[in-house]
Amino acid sequence: MFQNEFIERYKQWGFNAKEVELQECIRVNTVKITEEELIQRLKKRGFELEKVKFLENGYFVKRAKHSLSALQEYLQGFFYIQEAAAQLPAMVLNASSEDIVLDCCASPGGKTTQLAVKAKAVIALESQHNRIPALLNNIERLSIKNTIVCNTDARTFEPDMKFKKILIDAPCSGNYAIDRRWSQKQSLANIKARSEIQKEILSNIINCLEDNGEIVYSTCSLEPEENEMIVDWMIKELGMKVLDIDCFGEKGITKPFETELDKSIEKCRRIWPGITQGFFIARLQL
Amino acid sequence: MARHNTGIFHSEVTTMNFESFISKFAGIVIEYIKIGNKYFLADASLTELAKKLNTKTESIGLFLGEEKNEKFMPSLALLEILAKVSDEKVIVNNIGELDFLYKKDIKKRHIKGFSGGPKEGFLKLVLNESDDCIGYGKISKDLNSETPELANILDRGNFLRRE
Repeated sequence: MFQNEFIERYKQWGFNAKEVELQECIRVNTVKITEEELIQRLKKRGFELEKVKFLENGYFVKRAKHSLSALQEYLQGFFYIQEAAAQLPAMVLNASSEDIVLDCCASPGGKTTQLAVKAKAVIALESQHNRIPALLNNIERLSIKNTIVCNTDARTFEPDMKFKKILIDAPCSGNYAIDRRWSQKQSLANIKARSEIQKEILSNIINCLEDNGEIVYSTCSLEPEENEMIVDWMIKELGMKVLDIDCFGEKGITKPFETELDKSIEKCRRIWPGITQGFFIARLQL
Repeated sequence: MARHNTGIFHSEVTTMNFESFISKFAGIVIEYIKIGNKYFLADASLTELAKKLNTKTESIGLFLGEEKNEKFMPSLALLEILAKVSDEKVIVNNIGELDFLYKKDIKKRHIKGFSGGPKEGFLKLVLNESDDCIGYGKISKDLNSETPELANILDRGNFLRRE
């Protein structure tokens, strides 16, 4: 399946890696349609949906007659095809209709459009120009009206304002559940390089956070170097504290290697591949 | 019509094409802002927010369309807005909907009904049986004739073709 190096790492943290067949999942775009109406419309087309218990508007697709993205309802923007665990970070950030939210690594826009449903406004940053069209496409398809998109690197963003809520779904090494060739592409050196970029993003974005404001930091990596060890660095170097999360997943690992990390990291959520892909979510406050 | 030229978007106040497109469908006013050649529906609070970001803005609010070669090209989001207020519509059956979403033209066998002008050259919003706007086209053969036809200009299948 993949390199022993990674299998052995996961084993020491209590996870026996095995192949997973991810269930297709959608998020209902309640800006345009109610959950009940979409379920009925898709049922008529021969699709069977099952509510995902740990999500707000997420449904597993239990039976599909053909490709979801070919459906008229998809083209109408009634739903977004979004893996179940990937719907958690925006849920955990829990924006209100008063909040102007900063989304730091936005494309292709699953989390951006999810945040926009609840927030007053969303500022979506995307550093790679070639990823902007996908983001704009999804914002238009879902008829999202309250979002500003900037082709800006979060590492250099310096606005004249601060935010109460920030989502950093950081660029990461990914995980084997969403990419069959993952192990061929990844190495520990690569993972360490990613963690440096993650720190650079956080070092700058912390300046955009209001006092008592919250950051939700997430990745779809399984590696502690990109997750718990980043949170430990945020606690020690940026003076942040970890907040409780009420969400699906296991406790964060506090001793991934020889060194013990801050105990509060247990409050983070680590999701091993299974019914969803792998994910890591931390909620922090300044 | 209110025109917002905030100064940070390198705006030009050349709105005739946008306005004349809207007027083909309804007598409404749509407030917009421009970024380069692109039109957006955005309220004042969003434009004020954009000024504080100190960075180039790619889009703000809902994309309404853009000017290409001095011609206004609407977005699918704008067509949805117009469909709520316009009479210039053709309703198509399920097969017509599928064909239209694959960029095909609307033929007699697809048409369930229409409202507004029937004559060649008129622009029509195309709606499916669930009342969803799926695009727009131009009447190429009178809708009251024996062989009515509507040429596809833009349909929501475009979202897939862009990817």
